[in-house]
Amino acid sequence: MSVDTDADADEEPAGTEATAGDSDVALEAEGLEVTYGKVTALRGLDVIVTEGEIVSLIGPNGAGKTTFCNTASGFLDYGGSVRYRGQEVASVGQTELVDRGMVHCTEERDLFGYMDVEDNLGLGGYLRDDEVIEERKEFVYELFPRLDERREQNARSMSGGEQQMLAIGRALMGDPDLLILDEPTLGLAPVILQDIAEALDPIVERGVTVLLTEQNVTFALKHADRIYLLENGEAVREGTPDELKGDDYIRESYLGG
Amino acid sequence: MVLGEIATATVTAVFLSALYAIIAIGFTLIFGVGGILNFAHGAFITVGMFAAFLVTNSNGLVELPIWAGLLAGTGAGALLGAVTYVGIVRYVRDRPVTVLILTFVIGFFLIYAIRIGASDILGVDDPLAIPVPQVMGTDALNNVFILVTSWLLIGLLFYFVNYTRTGRAIIAVSQSDKGAALVGIDAGKINLITWTVAGAFAGYAGVLLAGAFGSGSWLMSIQPPAPLILSFAIVILGGLGSIKGSIAGAYIIGFAETFAVNFVPGGQQLAGVSSLVLLVVFLLVKPEGLFGRGAAE
Repeated sequence: MSVDTDADADEEPAGTEATAGDSDVALEAEGLEVTYGKVTALRGLDVIVTEGEIVSLIGPNGAGKTTFCNTASGFLDYGGSVRYRGQEVASVGQTELVDRGMVHCTEERDLFGYMDVEDNLGLGGYLRDDEVIEERKEFVYELFPRLDERREQNARSMSGGEQQMLAIGRALMGDPDLLILDEPTLGLAPVILQDIAEALDPIVERGVTVLLTEQNVTFALKHADRIYLLENGEAVREGTPDELKGDDYIRESYLGG
Repeated sequence: MVLGEIATATVTAVFLSALYAIIAIGFTLIFGVGGILNFAHGAFITVGMFAAFLVTNSNGLVELPIWAGLLAGTGAGALLGAVTYVGIVRYVRDRPVTVLILTFVIGFFLIYAIRIGASDILGVDDPLAIPVPQVMGTDALNNVFILVTSWLLIGLLFYFVNYTRTGRAIIAVSQSDKGAALVGIDAGKINLITWTVAGAFAGYAGVLLAGAFGSGSWLMSIQPPAPLILSFAIVILGGLGSIKGSIAGAYIIGFAETFAVNFVPGGQQLAGVSSLVLLVVFLLVKPEGLFGRGAAE
């Protein structure tokens, strides 16, 4: 519905709408292809994330969700195109993307295990000024009071749910404009899932665009504005949660009939 | 009488250990951050020694005071560390075995270059005895100089690593490459800084070591006190990659060695052996070292 009509425009957009400066497209992939050796992980994927949205990629293991996240945030080589605010991510570079506000919270979390919560959060703001770090820290502790209670605890000794909160918190410390959350609910107890879900609204209210990958289709349907269903490295369905709930294929294959 | 001997040995051990700590710290740092065992570490030390010789001897390039030698040695070590990382290690740093072999080869290349440079080009009589003066006029003062600067420099390094933004980034990279990248840390830059600092420490150590022992040698990395093997032992004892651990390891080995030499009958022969014995014991009994996995801290 709110999909940018310039999605199929040429690489060098000539129109006024789609230029990097004033476009409301945060992230756009066109014909994105990624291979690992002989294995093709993404085959011509098209995805658009508009500023302010929560867009979710759903799909089974191996569908290419994590590959897409890693490619978008500059970790992988690719064919085709993936642009952050109109600029090809390969030409921007991974570290610079973080500086420009695209922060990736990975499925593996990749925390600093031998550091406590405070230090992990502090490093999350590595590229930010001290004032931003302090302000952000307060926000994170408000969002996840459990982290506040465990400021001195080493990351590796925390539970999976707490580690996930810390990983999201650390990503928020980077003052993201686009937050990529790769499978944040994977393997978490329902009560923790609730904590994570409740954090999404305040994050979006601060103007953060969210790209969320999920195997938990119910979670995605509940929280996303728009959803792409990925299978074998391709988007096979795209739409709002309501549209997808009415889709026979999704109902049968992902929602248990 | 015996008490007096113990006191003397203790003082000797304290001085020796300070020297050992500074010898090992660069090796620790590189392992802590990149998980790399830098087998060229001994050669870095040798290059530091040789650079000092070049600027302080009539057979060298210029004959300046030893302070210039100290600067030249430290600078040469830093430059060598940086060049080794940028020119070679960064391309292979994800392959530990390749890095290990390459640093080994680099080390050999460097010490042979020094041998050829010293005897064939510069006409040094004995490449096993390359003259490098000690920093201070007397042995006692020189020992104090080593002790003070060892603590000062390692203290500064500790502060830098733990309390500055770049230092925190070094620890971050040491714990998780990917995590560091995710928060926007350029791991390449951090590794370059680490190799440069480690090289500087090695070069500095080379000048002090040669001065303290009267001369340097193209084979000094494996001649007693064999800084390469020593660094290895110290770092295993302390816990690979831990700065605190390395200091502890240096003092344990320094004391063990001094007391073995002074109080075990025929102990003079044991000078280099105590570090090896401790190395084996620790590998068997406490392989994680005294400070375990404390990362670069």
